Amino acid sequence: MLDDLLARFGKRDRLALARLLTLVARGEHLDAIRLALAAADSAASRPAPPVVALTGNAGVGKSTLVGKLAEYLRGQGQSVAVLACDPQSPLTGGALLGDRVRMPSRPDDLGLYIRSLAAVSGNQAVAEHVELMIRLLAGFGFDVILLETVGAGQGDTAVRELADVVVLLVQPETGDELQWEKAGLLEVADVVVVHKADLAGAERMESQVRELLTLPGCREITVLRVSSTKQQGLAELWAAILACPRHDARVGDARALLRRAQQVLAERFADRVQRVGPVVDRWKRHELDEAQAADELLQLLIR
Amino acid sequence: MVKCVENQIPLRIVLAKVGLDGHDRGVKVVSRALRDAGFHVIYPGLWQSPEAVVRTVADEDADWLGISLLSGTHMTLVPRIVEMLRAAGLDHVGVLVGGIIPETDVPKLLELGVARVFGPGTPMAEIIDFLRAHGSRTHA
Ligand SMILES: Nc1nc2c(ncn2[C@@H]2O[C@H](COP(=O)(O)OP(=O)(O)OP(=O)(O)O)[C@@H](O)[C@H]2O)c(=O)[nH]1
Ligand SMILES: [Mg+2]
Repeated sequence: MLDDLLARFGKRDRLALARLLTLVARGEHLDAIRLALAAADSAASRPAPPVVALTGNAGVGKSTLVGKLAEYLRGQGQSVAVLACDPQSPLTGGALLGDRVRMPSRPDDLGLYIRSLAAVSGNQAVAEHVELMIRLLAGFGFDVILLETVGAGQGDTAVRELADVVVLLVQPETGDELQWEKAGLLEVADVVVVHKADLAGAERMESQVRELLTLPGCREITVLRVSSTKQQGLAELWAAILACPRHDARVGDARALLRRAQQVLAERFADRVQRVGPVVDRWKRHELDEAQAADELLQLLIR
Repeated sequence: MVKCVENQIPLRIVLAKVGLDGHDRGVKVVSRALRDAGFHVIYPGLWQSPEAVVRTVADEDADWLGISLLSGTHMTLVPRIVEMLRAAGLDHVGVLVGGIIPETDVPKLLELGVARVFGPGTPMAEIIDFLRAHGSRTHA
């Protein structure tokens, strides 16, 4: 049965794609599917499509914006596949997958594919095995892959490894301060969208985000105001996404290796850890620049 | 045919509100109850055209399609959807119909290949038991 499916997939049979995605979602035949895709990949020399993740708190407008981006890209002649994640109940395993409600219905358009996925709750921002689903969609020939997460949370760091570009959505708030959790989330974002820019307070939110991004240690991040309702800022958003340096496939592995190295270091140098803090403090007070501080830290370790 | 054991592979069911009827309270209640019973419910929203329903069922690889519609439209819309599913190679998808369907039309719908018709006020347990008993014709 799997061979037949894979053969049909190779002939771009959409039902075969749909079924393979189901198998992957259930964790079935993963190795065989991976193998088949690897063989197909080496035969074709197509560049991998950009994978763009959209994340942000529930209700911030992820599905709506994914839908608008998909329409924008279709207008540019690009085919688009969407993986939209919603949470799965940890008690019953059930899920209400409602992201399609906010996305365009284009039944005659074969250049748009939308798949709803249940993500096991906990700290996972996306469904399991999404990385293989992305490869299936890429292998099928979609030009762009959009990934909607279940909402902002700890699992977002995993999204960084799956996607080439991570777009974090925030919206104008009634509260006074940008929530602290969101500040932490800026770490995973390549682009921050102040969504629902048609609402009051969007400029204020934008300047709060920009302020946070000037803190030391923040990477260069593009901040944009977008309104899906008014269709404003979509072209600018897509341009900003394309301007992000795409992560190399090996970056994910490299990151895992770095984490491990950090662990090993932490274990070996536990006794010297208390001497790290003062160096960081001096750097914060601008008594040391980055290079000098890094040097001092290294000296601590090498000795 | 496999049966869906609780907390194992959940059945995927598309619940579609077809036609011009703008009320989604009923279908939302059913959606939540099915979710709480462990199903994966895909809800595409109001005012779905038959074409849109079939596209959703295909791309979502659904095991079941639940169609909710106003009485008066069922004898035109349901046959169209069933025919389009067949043409799209989706005859393995089980079709359920919900709504106020006159007694005399029920056999006609079943004749067309609809698996079951649920009238208003059907206890949720009946729908859940039906789905559990029939499982998936999609996955062996
Ligand atoms: N004012 C305004 N409202 C918007 C805009 N975009 C989306 N919304 C509204 O925001 C609400 C939530 O939108 P969704 O797209 O479902 O948000 P989401 O982030 O996908 O939500 P979850 O999937 O539940 O996490 C809806 O009521 C939308 O109509 C916008 O640009 N402006
Ligand atoms: Mg959503």
